[in-house]
Amino acid sequence: MNVLNALINRRRFLQVTGATAAVAAGGVGLQGFSPAAEGQVGRSTSGNTVVTKSICHQCPARCGINVYTTNGRVHAIYGDPGNPIANGKLCPKGHLGTYLLYDPDRFKGPMKRTNPRKGRDEDPGFVPISWDEALDTVAERLNRLRESGESHRFAHFYGRGWGSSDAGLYGDFGKLYGTPNSAIGHASICAEGSKRAKQATDGNNSYNAYDYRNTNYILNFGASFLEAFRPYNYLMQVWGHMRSKSPQTRITTIDVRMNPTMAASDRYLMIKPGTDGAMALAIAHVILTEGLWDKEFVGDFRDGRNQFRTGQSIRPARFEERWTHGIADWWNEELKDRTPEWAEQITTIPARHIVTVAREFATTRPAMAIMERGPTAHFNGTYNGMAIHALNALVGTMFAEGGMFYQMGVPYGSLPVDADDYMDDYAREMQGKYPRIDMAGTEKWPMAGTMMQETAKHHLAGDPYRLDTAMFFLTNPIWSAPDPHLWEEALKDVFIIETSPYPGETAVYADLILPEHTYLERLQDSPTYPFEGWPMTALRVPAVDPVYDTKHFGDMLIEIGKRIDGPMGDYYRELGDVENILRHRAAGFVDNPGDNGVNDFESWKEKGVWYKKPYHWRYWRGSFWEWDGEGYNVEMSEADVGEKLLRTPTGKFEFKSGFLERHAGYIAQEMGIPENRVGIIQWVEPVHTGGGDLHFVTPKTPLHAEGRSANIPQAQAYMQPIVGGRGTCYLEIHPDTARQRGIADGDRVRISAEVRGERKSILAVARYMPAHRPDTLVLPMEYGHWAQGRWATAEGRDIKPGHSGDITENLSDPISGLASYYTAKVTLEKA
Amino acid sequence: MAKWGMVIDLDKCTGCQACTTACSMENNTLPGESWQDVLFYHEGEYPSAQMKWLPRPCMQCEKPSCVYVCPTRATYKDEEAGGIVFVDWNKCIGCKYCMIACPYGVRFYADEQPLVEPDIRDVYPGENGQMWSPPYQNPEQDWRRGIGIQPKGVVSKCTFCHHKVSKAPDGVADLDEDDPDLVEYVPACVRTCPPKARFFGDLDNPESNVNRLIGDKHGVRLLDHTGNRPQVYYLGAGAGIPAFSPRKS
Ligand code: SF4
Ligand code: SF4
Ligand code: SF4
Repeated sequence: MNVLNALINRRRFLQVTGATAAVAAGGVGLQGFSPAAEGQVGRSTSGNTVVTKSICHQCPARCGINVYTTNGRVHAIYGDPGNPIANGKLCPKGHLGTYLLYDPDRFKGPMKRTNPRKGRDEDPGFVPISWDEALDTVAERLNRLRESGESHRFAHFYGRGWGSSDAGLYGDFGKLYGTPNSAIGHASICAEGSKRAKQATDGNNSYNAYDYRNTNYILNFGASFLEAFRPYNYLMQVWGHMRSKSPQTRITTIDVRMNPTMAASDRYLMIKPGTDGAMALAIAHVILTEGLWDKEFVGDFRDGRNQFRTGQSIRPARFEERWTHGIADWWNEELKDRTPEWAEQITTIPARHIVTVAREFATTRPAMAIMERGPTAHFNGTYNGMAIHALNALVGTMFAEGGMFYQMGVPYGSLPVDADDYMDDYAREMQGKYPRIDMAGTEKWPMAGTMMQETAKHHLAGDPYRLDTAMFFLTNPIWSAPDPHLWEEALKDVFIIETSPYPGETAVYADLILPEHTYLERLQDSPTYPFEGWPMTALRVPAVDPVYDTKHFGDMLIEIGKRIDGPMGDYYRELGDVENILRHRAAGFVDNPGDNGVNDFESWKEKGVWYKKPYHWRYWRGSFWEWDGEGYNVEMSEADVGEKLLRTPTGKFEFKSGFLERHAGYIAQEMGIPENRVGIIQWVEPVHTGGGDLHFVTPKTPLHAEGRSANIPQAQAYMQPIVGGRGTCYLEIHPDTARQRGIADGDRVRISAEVRGERKSILAVARYMPAHRPDTLVLPMEYGHWAQGRWATAEGRDIKPGHSGDITENLSDPISGLASYYTAKVTLEKA
Repeated sequence: MAKWGMVIDLDKCTGCQACTTACSMENNTLPGESWQDVLFYHEGEYPSAQMKWLPRPCMQCEKPSCVYVCPTRATYKDEEAGGIVFVDWNKCIGCKYCMIACPYGVRFYADEQPLVEPDIRDVYPGENGQMWSPPYQNPEQDWRRGIGIQPKGVVSKCTFCHHKVSKAPDGVADLDEDDPDLVEYVPACVRTCPPKARFFGDLDNPESNVNRLIGDKHGVRLLDHTGNRPQVYYLGAGAGIPAFSPRKS
């Protein structure tokens, strides 16, 4: 009865039922309870709910979304059924987008810094300014740099650029203004390794498009298919299809830790970090010795008898290659000794499993071998990736049904103005005069497209020069780059313009805050990342008017451009604004209506996406065919294939890479590989940083919205379901490894590694996970922010782990330039 | 009236938690107030351990133990609404008896310390009697059925998205999100499930797809020995879920 008395005394109960009398009557007054007239009853969506088309912003999948807005408030986001990636579905992040719109920590308008001292703990002393003052300040600086012949000291940095209305504007800006640094992209701290592996083998510097719907076998090397691989939402949809179609697609996953992809596959093999290339080479060895390769794609011995025998060379003249190049050299110089038993020593995967996987993969067609950062975010990443991708050539995957292709571009209309007509003498003089600040594409990083992670080092050393002004768009390397402390030093004396709407780490060092719209407020195009090959571009249409005094990033660039002296200003006045750009882009659809009828700007806005099937090329039983409007009817010549599909120096899939051979001297010097061997797809030892005894991997979980979920409480509640990380992330550790160090389940631990010769540590709480490798620690990358909003920085009841970047050395694959995020070895102790 | 049932195919489920976040945004639940949750389990050890997971909404039991213990009749099973079990927030006194009686752990009393700090209820303080009032809340609200944002001091739970399914045309056998005429009536978790592991339909209609799936793939109900007789069925190899053992730490 006491319990009931206590409960009945709840204030709300008294309010709603007026039950004081009931309590006085002895505490059994529940008979006095009736549906409360004062209580709230029904309220329903009225007719003024509007559905707007947009694109999710939280990962590179670019899912089309339907945004539900009632009375000017967004209250729901669902997948757009008319968008070929979303198909009405979303991943767990997609629904949380409203948090990003209504994030209470958003910047409310442009601001300038008043405290000249910069540091983590320095209050920038921001004061609000008008957009005119903000843009004038930027333009004044840029004009001044130009006058003194130093325009190269201005750099743009960007991460998740979207399309022609934002990141697409950089090229012309750099050209007209006169800087090689427009823009430094983030690909080298993202996933550049797989692109370079493909460039080195099939000549396409790109991620692949895939025909998952028709494949019967996936051999997955460290692509986190059911957590973070792009396009995540679609991958899950097609997973449902592959797992219920007939015949069911068989999936073998090779990764360094237990995760949902591993658990849901038919077979998982837990490999030692950085050694995927050895496993792939052994699989190739088995495929060749057992005669299981695709003879129509690769070719065959002239006499039809298999002469690949372990340890024995073949006579090159005896093998007639079809669409590949260098198989005899590959076998003789490398593969003949790469037995499963050899690979077992390196990978820890038992040889018998390697044999089974090789036979299964090569006898189930169509089959594909896929990969992403797992194998490639290491010193030997490109060679690992090449070994994996070579398996696709061996089983005839390239451009085949159920195989993989490359992405076609969008037939956009051209811009109303041509930047070449607006270059002045100064701009022409600056072309090629200075290297990029990150030295990508110079003799220092000849094969890298971008090296953002090198910038801080270069600036501090003044080599090639020091930056004066930097503008950041959707990237935050001061937190997310390896060894981020160096960035804190570097950004102290650079004039920083931050454009994020959220108060991230870059903003703490910023001199100017130019907050852009959040994605639900933007008009923005977004051509697809490689998907199924046929061209597609989606459109963000603003769901609501801007909540605060913010601007589209593209319009900021244009407005700055208008304020630059000389013809550059005229160019941007002609260009107008983002909407004008998109109208001109959409003009390209008039002659090329999409499959959904989109043929101009208005219909693009209404449907949210333009796309046109099919993909134009197909490999089929030894030949390549081109689409003629009705079917794959035109057989392609070898020259045509080399020009359009296998874009290597030989026009074939290269087991001996001409691309790498062109840089033989560099590779020999940086990686210690003899010059005459650099082209061979081969095993290269990983170089582990950190100086510890335990591998350390820091994966993205499905709730990781590229750094922005740190301030979404709902995302934090579901961050790490595997070991119960709700509201925090735990360090996942094998119990034996923990006990050897006296660490109990739930203990606080210190993870340490050498960075630039100094010992750096972060704290975390350990959770036992007996499914992991005993030599590998897993800490999902999410926490350890020192800015980004109240939830990101809160010290709650749950101890949150430190930031994994703090103990990550800045070491990159010399070929791709990809930062080796997953290669550290750390030491662990009870804290 | 239909008898609404849900089918979850564990052979297709990827454990992504999209169902969970779709539910949380549609129904404006607090972080951690997971009307629909996904529970992960692992057994064994490297290199042969297994890991599996179970998405878990309210089972909308035919014989709901939560209803039998409720002292105020706030919790009730509404046969007119397809057999959905509701909490009438105007009657609930927050005694939590139902939470103890439910064998599936799907009821929430959100007045506790927040899972994620700072407390979002302080950021968006409650208005009009609501426990909290975020700017992005769903306009749908019906406290007699536990729909919308609750007042303080009550128990909340999955409503099978009654505010959606109740608007579906009479007599429809299945609410399939791929049907453009029906998509708006599909529960949020079913509608968004990327691999299409979730299905929603009429268990009283022998022609419904949900009944066909249960028949073809040998659907099972969780903890059937309790006699609660869920209206949620599971398919697939993962459907034998181990007993829950709380962590020691
Ligand atoms: S996969 Fe998820 S996060 Fe990525 S775009 Fe789609 S809904 Fe957004
Ligand atoms: S699952 Fe629990 S809350 Fe839902 S009806 Fe059954 S007993 Fe009641
Ligand atoms: S949305 Fe579907 S696939 Fe994802 S956890 Fe829920 S039931 Fe499983």
